[in-house]
Amino acid sequence: MRSRRGADCEPRIAISNAELAAAFNGGESMSEELRVSPIETREVPGKRRFAMVVDTRRCIGCMACQVACKAEYDTPLGVNRTWVPYKVVGKYPNVKKQFLPRLCNHCDDPPCVRNCPVEATFKVEDGGFVLQRYERCIGCRSCMAACPYNARFMLPSHRTYTPITNVVDKCTFCFHRVTQNLVPACVQTCIGRSRIFGDLNDPNSEVSYLVATNATQVLRPEEGTKPHVFYIGADRNATEFPRDAYRKPEVMEQERSAFKRHFDI
Amino acid sequence: MGDYVWFHDVSWHATYAIYFFVIGIVAGLSFLSFLSWHNEALKPIRASSAWGALVLLAMGGLLLIADLSQPMRFLNILNPFYLNFSSPLAWGALNILSFGIALVVYLLVIRKGDGGRGKWMAGIAALLALGLPIYTGFDLTVHQSRPVWNTPIIPVLFVAMAIASGSAVASLLAGGNAATQATLRQYLLWSTGAVGVMLVSILGTTHHGGSAQELTYLILTTGTMGLIFVGIGIVAGTAAPIALLLAPFGRQQSGVVLAGLLVLAGGAALRYALLMGPQQLQTLY
Repeated sequence: MRSRRGADCEPRIAISNAELAAAFNGGESMSEELRVSPIETREVPGKRRFAMVVDTRRCIGCMACQVACKAEYDTPLGVNRTWVPYKVVGKYPNVKKQFLPRLCNHCDDPPCVRNCPVEATFKVEDGGFVLQRYERCIGCRSCMAACPYNARFMLPSHRTYTPITNVVDKCTFCFHRVTQNLVPACVQTCIGRSRIFGDLNDPNSEVSYLVATNATQVLRPEEGTKPHVFYIGADRNATEFPRDAYRKPEVMEQERSAFKRHFDI
Repeated sequence: MGDYVWFHDVSWHATYAIYFFVIGIVAGLSFLSFLSWHNEALKPIRASSAWGALVLLAMGGLLLIADLSQPMRFLNILNPFYLNFSSPLAWGALNILSFGIALVVYLLVIRKGDGGRGKWMAGIAALLALGLPIYTGFDLTVHQSRPVWNTPIIPVLFVAMAIASGSAVASLLAGGNAATQATLRQYLLWSTGAVGVMLVSILGTTHHGGSAQELTYLILTTGTMGLIFVGIGIVAGTAAPIALLLAPFGRQQSGVVLAGLLVLAGGAALRYALLMGPQQLQTLY
């Protein structure tokens, strides 16, 4: 899928992306080889498999994606469908802020779908979106416990513009926009063009090209969830469990208690 | 310094740990009521343990429903068109419902004094009761991204803890009956011993690594969580009652009751720590 503004930005290459991807993979399709569960739709003929590539080298930390998402969904205070944590790494004079935009990874083998007792969360076969049926969710938080990415959150009991409360919510890859041939709100607004969205099953899409021609990372690959948010240049300081989780600096504890007090968690 | 971290909340709060504790006692009491048909020493607690299980099952069920953020939708989990059988919670809901029905039938049968059917119903209720700690264990085990929870031994640990907690409550119900207390002492001793062995195994594996396991080990064994898990759960609630039951005082009725109280305190602490501890690491990811 192409961004409305970005048709010019498509890479101009002499050979097709499909041929290029095949060349990089030695002529074999790696992901087909790795497909294990029948729920997975990566490289299944006739089906789309949307994915996002986040090029962290281009992320400037403006948080516009976070704001665009908030505006698109009226996400309440205290919770986010997408968020951009950052860390300052290195030692002076070699320091850098490392951003790691985060969202639901729309896994190809999502543990949240397996864990929901009432099928309130489900995977759309054509496209691979992992979505939520609000009217069915009982609020057991089993999906939240199952998600290795903290992508799910509980909506508060009071909201101004919508009756959807007290159920689990998450990023939808902007299903309503993508089905109208638009890119997700965060992708549309990304000023550095750090976020790229498209159909990974289409060998000529930009995401296919980026995934085939760059060394990409996914978060917590060891969980076998087959995440479909691919990072280029993600920093280990941001992708791995931090030591802070055990020995938290006092200032972090103060921030956390203020956060919890403010949002009544 | 200057980092921006988004704080996530834990998925399951302490209510769930209380539910684990209550449902473990329910299962343990049901086992004992069943065993009373095969062991004369347990006959005095046959009816009282079954009634105790029913009361606690009602409490546990209410706790579970109250813990949902949409409590009135608890019926969704019993809707055959909604049920997702790959979720342990779905199996758990069916298990609780069928166990509750079997327990009520069992109580009606033993109230009528029908020994033959009572024995059968006790067996059915006990089998379904076995599913309660197993499914609660699977609730945690299936979450493969969480250290400790993902240990396959958790359902077995929960069964051992259910026998220990049930025996502890039964020791309070047995009062001054020496023969019953002597039998319960055996159950307490062996089940608590099994819990101790499994805890050592879990701690050893968790300490071995990698980084998520190591950090979870540190969270579980230090600070307030360390006091709850190691202090109350392992030392006061597992090691101390074993030592007490092996000592001459532990062969007396008051010794068994005291050991039972320690096991109950330990069981509550262990369930809390096993539920909350492994969730802490994830909140900062």
